[in-house]
Amino acid sequence: MTAAIEVRNLAKQYGSNWAVRDLKLHVASGSVFGLIGPNGAGKTTTLRVLLDIIRPTSGTALVLGVPPRAGGPALRRRIGYIPGELRLDGRVRGRQLLQHLALISGSVKPGAIDELAERLCVDLTRPVHALSKGNKQKLGLIQAFMHQPELLILDEPTSGLDPLVQREFLVMVREAREAGQTVLLSSHVLSEIQQIADEVAVLSNGSVVAEGAVAALRLGQIRHVQAGVDGESVDAIRSRLSGVPGVRDLQVFGENTVRVRATIDGNIDPLIKALASLTVTDLVIEEPDLEESVLQLYGEVGSASPPGVVKTSMSTADGRRPRHE
Amino acid sequence: MSNLPVLPVFRRSFGDSWRSLVAWGVGVSAALLLYLPLFPSIGGSGQMQQLIASLPPELVRTLGYEDIVSGVGYTQATFFGLIGFFLFIFAATAWGSAAIAGAEESGVLELTLAHGVGRGQYASESVLSVLARLVALGALSGGVILALNSPSDLGISITNLLAALAALVGLACVSATVALLVGASTGRRVFATSAGAGVAVLGYVFNALANQVPNADWLRWFSPYSWAYHEAPLRDGASWIGLALLWGVSLCCVAATAVVLRRRDISG
Repeated sequence: MTAAIEVRNLAKQYGSNWAVRDLKLHVASGSVFGLIGPNGAGKTTTLRVLLDIIRPTSGTALVLGVPPRAGGPALRRRIGYIPGELRLDGRVRGRQLLQHLALISGSVKPGAIDELAERLCVDLTRPVHALSKGNKQKLGLIQAFMHQPELLILDEPTSGLDPLVQREFLVMVREAREAGQTVLLSSHVLSEIQQIADEVAVLSNGSVVAEGAVAALRLGQIRHVQAGVDGESVDAIRSRLSGVPGVRDLQVFGENTVRVRATIDGNIDPLIKALASLTVTDLVIEEPDLEESVLQLYGEVGSASPPGVVKTSMSTADGRRPRHE
Repeated sequence: MSNLPVLPVFRRSFGDSWRSLVAWGVGVSAALLLYLPLFPSIGGSGQMQQLIASLPPELVRTLGYEDIVSGVGYTQATFFGLIGFFLFIFAATAWGSAAIAGAEESGVLELTLAHGVGRGQYASESVLSVLARLVALGALSGGVILALNSPSDLGISITNLLAALAALVGLACVSATVALLVGASTGRRVFATSAGAGVAVLGYVFNALANQVPNADWLRWFSPYSWAYHEAPLRDGASWIGLALLWGVSLCCVAATAVVLRRRDISG
């Protein structure tokens, strides 16, 4: 398959800080490619380079076969883009804004704007400054999809959207893939990427630390479990659960109702079976946050870079304030 | 590409800013309607001449009131040299800083440039849009002055009025394009506004100093205000050197704006 996007040794430096360093990316034509990583990992920087909004310090990128800067406006007409921090303001109404953007996009089919607006349930007659964050984000999605571009570059496309609209968005992405469009999207929500992406690259501290097919990466295999258990002593519960395969970091404590906390690695069934023999008063099973998944993923996939590098990079990313929201 | 849109950035920025254009138009008209009808009772009266004679000559020269007893001198001193000058400069600076720096700070620039718009195209259409608004403001001023010309006994000739308007709009254009250039270089609205207004104020101060201090005439070479008004276009007709300086400097700023914007990273 030909590449819709080919990035080689990309680096971007701001002062003494490298936002992106030695980044390689290959997005196959017609695929859905997910870029995940904690805030500050370099996702937005990478996507902005592809749109020629910023210029790399070194390295090359080819978008639809053309370098972004040389491709210019003609190339960008073939792309639909939603910025990571979409801000819309002013008295202009949603429809006027979209019509203006349609003028500077590739050609938009008549009725496309209304059709998308209806799917996403957004009122185009209201001034954009009066719209909620979620509704502004919907306008952002409409302007990215309305000209059915060959390539969609979506930076945190679902931020601010309610779950129903998020689901509709996933349908739109699948339809785009079926229509032969290529989608590159970034997210810090793991489950979203898992649901739609064919391939993913995990970014940390400006480089790709792991990449491959979503299924092969075995993402999100760990879960945090919390439960309340009645009618047994702390010691009895501990001895019953500690032998369950995959359970680690087990904590059992409390007086009347005993609290159980554990992390489970891999198949969750043995733990559920073990709990089922007890009187369970409540149960919470959580997906781990992205950083944890990436660390765990690194442990399993292994080959991207030496462990020490990943450890430090993750802790750096951890200490940073999130850029979005 | 067969059906590229005509001037999409210009159309949007002009369309988005008509309210502000109307507001400045109201301000400029109000200033003219407030000052010019008073000429027969103030500037033309003997009392005014006595008042001017009793003022310190430095103050009179700073305000440009030497010639205030004629209709032309009065219009120059009150409108072109003072109120109109400041209104035009403020409008030009506000529009010039909003076009690039303001758009960048609000995130609009990133979204626009992620579409089929080139950097040079964005810069030149933004300039065109600001220029169109300044010309509209100038045309409105011209219309109001013409309408008041004979009722207020001002005695201004149409050619000289056009020359003075070209000077005023050119003067505003210098501030607008300086604001655009600084906005394109820094992406910061506050820097753009300071630069646009700063150039105008500095020019005014240099002109006033040159009026006061003997042997300080060279300061006029650095004062857009002097380029516009030293040769008294409203009284004596167009000063071609002055107009060439005003519009030439503006043009250089525009070219530099396009070059700078093409090279830079856009921040969100």
